[in-house]
Amino acid sequence: MKAMGVIFSNIYDNTLAQLTNVRTVASLPFGGRYRFIDFVLSNMSNSGIFNIGVITKYNYRSLMDHLGNLSEWDLNRKNEGLVFLPPFVTGNTGVYKGKLEALHSALNFLDNPDYDYVVVCDSTVLCNLDLRSAIQQHVKSGSDVTILANREPFDPPKKHPLIMKTDPDNHVKEIMIDTYVQPDCYVGMGMFIFGRKHLVDVLEETAAKGLVHLERDFLQRKLNENAISISVFPVSGVVLRNEDIRSYYANNMALMKKEVRDDLFNADRPIYTKVRDEAPTYYGAGNHVINSLIADGCKICGTIESSVIFRGVLVDETAKVSSSIIMQDARIGKGAQLECVILDKNVTVNPGTVLKGTPEHPVIIQKGETA
Amino acid sequence: MIFRKKDCIAMILAGGQGSRLMVLTENTAKPAVPFGGKYRLIDFPLSNCVNSGIDTVGILTQYQPLQLNEYIGHGQPWGLNSTNGGIHVLSPYSKSQNSEWYKGTANAIYQNISFIERYNPTNVLILSGDHIYKMDYSKMLSMHTKHKADCTIAVLEVPLAEASRFGIMETDKSGRIVAFQEKPKVPKSNKASMGIYVFRWEILKKYLVEDNEDPDSSNDFGKNIIPKMIDDGHRLFAYDFEGYWKDVGTIESLWQSNMDILGEKPLLDMRSPKNRIYARNYAHPCSYVAPGAEIVNSYVAEGSTVYGKVYNSIISTGCVVEEDAEIHNSFIMPNAVIERRSVVRFAIIGEDALVHANAKIGDDPAFYAKKDWGIAVVGKDKVVAQNKIMLPKEIY
Repeated sequence: MKAMGVIFSNIYDNTLAQLTNVRTVASLPFGGRYRFIDFVLSNMSNSGIFNIGVITKYNYRSLMDHLGNLSEWDLNRKNEGLVFLPPFVTGNTGVYKGKLEALHSALNFLDNPDYDYVVVCDSTVLCNLDLRSAIQQHVKSGSDVTILANREPFDPPKKHPLIMKTDPDNHVKEIMIDTYVQPDCYVGMGMFIFGRKHLVDVLEETAAKGLVHLERDFLQRKLNENAISISVFPVSGVVLRNEDIRSYYANNMALMKKEVRDDLFNADRPIYTKVRDEAPTYYGAGNHVINSLIADGCKICGTIESSVIFRGVLVDETAKVSSSIIMQDARIGKGAQLECVILDKNVTVNPGTVLKGTPEHPVIIQKGETA
Repeated sequence: MIFRKKDCIAMILAGGQGSRLMVLTENTAKPAVPFGGKYRLIDFPLSNCVNSGIDTVGILTQYQPLQLNEYIGHGQPWGLNSTNGGIHVLSPYSKSQNSEWYKGTANAIYQNISFIERYNPTNVLILSGDHIYKMDYSKMLSMHTKHKADCTIAVLEVPLAEASRFGIMETDKSGRIVAFQEKPKVPKSNKASMGIYVFRWEILKKYLVEDNEDPDSSNDFGKNIIPKMIDDGHRLFAYDFEGYWKDVGTIESLWQSNMDILGEKPLLDMRSPKNRIYARNYAHPCSYVAPGAEIVNSYVAEGSTVYGKVYNSIISTGCVVEEDAEIHNSFIMPNAVIERRSVVRFAIIGEDALVHANAKIGDDPAFYAKKDWGIAVVGKDKVVAQNKIMLPKEIY
């Protein structure tokens, strides 16, 4: 029972546009010191999945830089490890439009008889789980596909890309695409388990028919034709979906809750990330910090409230930061006031600048800019 | 086997038991003692080597090596996992004849002559595993080469009143060492040896072999090798070091050195990107500072949670300071927990220690006669009972 992994690095690039101009969504910073991909990579590594392909489309330099030699995730291995699967452009193919197409260009990677199962994951859904138990359930159920899913509140109404109705044994009865959550439904987490051979057959068939969209063109269609059996693996822990700026902001703020942190950063299954060799954070004269997450390497002399502060940030005297996400190496000058702001990497905020957004529409300052 | 010839390799003496650190080194080697929130003592010489372009390092260790070995691993955190050279932990081992522990600093190097010979180095740099400082050894090496020296010793000017605690060098105008006194009663100079030596390997090897054959020798660099080399008329030079340096062999000096990284303009700047100190990093999330917390002039490392109040202190990775707990002028080592309403003043709390609620540990020197006051210490893995009072100087 050996599994390999595939990670999509570019899903939702468009909906998180201001933050993904310069990077794949997989390398979007999160939670003070992580990138999105750290969660899925750590889940795989902690679950003994060490042969991983990362499907990339464009802008993946920052992702390669982040992953480096992969030793932090224990993936610098002799016989397994991580491979990048950039678009294999032959004449008219170009970049991918959907997951099926992307997986099809990874056929060479998937065509490896050493593995029985493939775990296919988005990088935007953040959680900490043991994939081994999901694979075990997949094997036991005998289903063709297992979809990891959780319950989401249906009030207020929110659209999700994949919603499933199941019987009491968690067999999927109906699949709905891009619609509102209903009571007693499971919401897909963008994580799928396939038999490897089955997936290869599926990809050859769907490529021949020109199908691109995994959920709509394959899962929903085949289920409606009764040609496939699908199970849900229910996840009860914390699941943070990042589909747009608003959810990204809210998910960062959710980390102030102890129960969210305890679940997401479960000490038995650590989340790994790139090491930066920063000194611990120094709390200097005049600082006042409450209810905030602070990474290493910062110097804080101002006020910080309910914010996520990444590595190497300087908050000068009398500056005030509240309900904000401040990415690495930002410089916030004296007397500046930030509320509901997302500062991308290396942003300089001049002394006295006032920036104010709302939780629904945080002000975003892009990488390297001065405000 | 073929090894690329090296200009200089480093040997770090890390075999001492560190008995003056008492409970802090009961179960661990001194070089593995934590420092500054996320570091261990060995990070300083290792990082200095890497920042000085030295890529081959031997660590000589013989006391409680488990934690040190695990910490060093294959040297990746310091970039020392290289094919040609890299990091090697060298423990004493049984040989066909004369199996023995390292008897002294010189004997430790003597027993590893074959390791050094593999790299056929021009020079060997001898370092200590328990000194806190940032230094570019390449400057010392180029001085050594320029002087065509057989040995160069890094020296620090210390107040004359304190000079009798150190090995003191007397030099002529050119910087050549004319006399060396180990802990002299009446020091003739204030140039103290920092325990950092560069030797021409050819010469050192000869002296190590001779020293080993001398049954009256205590096999020590400071007591035997260096005085003998001076007597024999070899070229020994002093290299003047300016900057922060501290031997953290005692509780007091370890505490003081940690306090020296605090402040706007600290004596030892850990934040400066120049000569950065590297450490093995664990997968801790960010630190969380709760409502009601207060942190003043302190370092707080990742993975820690602060609900209480922290003044002029160092909170290491993975620590928890609960509600209404107070930490003043103290060094809290990794993964220690200080429960609610406990007050810690002028103390060192060991790794993984647990201080239950309402305990009082240590106190301010202002309230005590000098002879009655000292740093209070809670050892590694110790559990301090609820309501327990530990006076200054008390060691648990």
